[in-house]
Amino acid sequence: MAARRALKAVLVDLNGTLHIEDAAVPGAQEALKRQAILQVQMTNTLRAASVMVRFVTNTTKESKQDLLERLKKLEFDISEDEIFTSLTAARNLVEQKQVRPMLLVDDRALPDFTGVQTGDPNAVVIGLAPEHFHYQLLNQAFRLLLDGAPLIAIHKARYYKRKDGLALGPGPFVTALEYATDTKAIVVGKPEKTFFLEALRDTGCAPEEAVMIGDGLSPRGESGAGLLVSPSAFGVFQKVDGPVTELDRKYRAADEEKINPPPYLTCESFPHAVDHILQNLL
Amino acid sequence: MAAWAERLAGVRGVLLDISGVLYDSGAGGGAAIAGSVDAVARRPHSSVCAEHTLICVFVPRLKRSPLKVRFCTNESQKSRRELVGLLQRLGFDISEGEVTAPAPATCQILKERGLRPHLLIHDGVRSEFDDIDMSNPNCVVIADAGDSFSYKNMNRAFQVLMELENPVLISLGKGRYYKETSGLMLDVGGYMKALEYACGIEAEVVGKPSPEFFKSALQAIGLEAHQAVMIGDDIVGDVGGAQKCGMRALQVRTGKFRSNLGTMVKLRMSLPIVYRKQLF
Repeated sequence: MAARRALKAVLVDLNGTLHIEDAAVPGAQEALKRQAILQVQMTNTLRAASVMVRFVTNTTKESKQDLLERLKKLEFDISEDEIFTSLTAARNLVEQKQVRPMLLVDDRALPDFTGVQTGDPNAVVIGLAPEHFHYQLLNQAFRLLLDGAPLIAIHKARYYKRKDGLALGPGPFVTALEYATDTKAIVVGKPEKTFFLEALRDTGCAPEEAVMIGDGLSPRGESGAGLLVSPSAFGVFQKVDGPVTELDRKYRAADEEKINPPPYLTCESFPHAVDHILQNLL
Repeated sequence: MAAWAERLAGVRGVLLDISGVLYDSGAGGGAAIAGSVDAVARRPHSSVCAEHTLICVFVPRLKRSPLKVRFCTNESQKSRRELVGLLQRLGFDISEGEVTAPAPATCQILKERGLRPHLLIHDGVRSEFDDIDMSNPNCVVIADAGDSFSYKNMNRAFQVLMELENPVLISLGKGRYYKETSGLMLDVGGYMKALEYACGIEAEVVGKPSPEFFKSALQAIGLEAHQAVMIGDDIVGDVGGAQKCGMRALQVRTGKFRSNLGTMVKLRMSLPIVYRKQLF
């Protein structure tokens, strides 16, 4: 175990919490509600201890505003700049690179790109947006990429579940463009390292001074209906100084051996994780 | 000149790519590439080639020469009949029986293996599959569907594959893109990779650069690989593929050719593109 440094920031994964309304299994709803309440209590405690908190999630179709409203209904008292999503990560990257993106994203995600120049594009940002994945538009994107424009992918999920069955995610279309242009996309969502580093950027904290609390729900997930939820899969708890993945304890217990470095600690539940932090890392 | 004669010694036949060499597809039937019509028909070559459309290596009239000619195309958006009709209207001397194309080759494979396909194709090539049993599909066939690569159509093909215990994906070619008169267009290759990625499978490719495809073209004109030259605009699909089979190959600077394109294909013999007088 690495030498202990003072903890300054905690990244809290929101995926499970956000899926409360979508949870198909009745028991899961209750468990998630309990978890949400605990999260709220614990994060208040963390804030009181001067630890910065960031709530992180992958999403390609909810703007920060939408998320804030949903979370407020769950009695989360948080401000907009405490939320960091994969869309935020994409926007930050666009600003860093000073490019004008062609946005192949859901309309509901557009508010997160307000103020970004999109005329005469010289970059492509692609999220889950089936209505944009038709030949004409993809061909336009292809021609931009062939001319040297960077390809920024919110994530590369293969598919997601819809009411009518499985449906292609953005991943296959990103792959198509990568192959056609012989280039590689920059993927900005979880579990890419970029995502976590960006989430920490405005906290002013280094990865060694932060921890991530993941609850193992739908790690490669796309926010959307019908995803698998597992109420008992809590608490993988890991330092953000290497590739970070969320592990679903119930379904993939052996995964801990698969990632490198292994999780700093695996806890029974979110409250246990926070207790540990409060007792040992502050 | 001597060097050329040496390099092309023993050549008795030519495999000609169509799209990007003879013509560029596009609205209104597309456009012949300057000089190609004459080069194939062995008519006296007309005046000066525009610099940017420097095309054909062979000025001499291929068909009058002792050389055997076979058209070897990955065209999968149109049937052979439609393609040949189009080229004839552009002035080319070509017939259906002279064309090796991926759709007929695929049909043969489907019949041999008892495969019943779900087709992800453009309507223009559907007639090539008239003889095929498509009930209760146990595989997916993907071709250059162009505008028919809608999200809905891709998704349906994906769902068919995901429901199969033994998913088989057959792709007519795997080109990255091709040139139309309006500009560069995504080819079947990217969409094939999309389904491979989504389903975690590997497609079987029928068409260039698969060796079986080249062999069947050679068989059609009764030649061995070392007796033939392939002429194409795709460095990987045409040139690389042909050379791997033991043929010689020439790349033309028309069609999709881009001079700044890097390539992983190591050419054992990369001939410059030139305007040549009679070689045979």
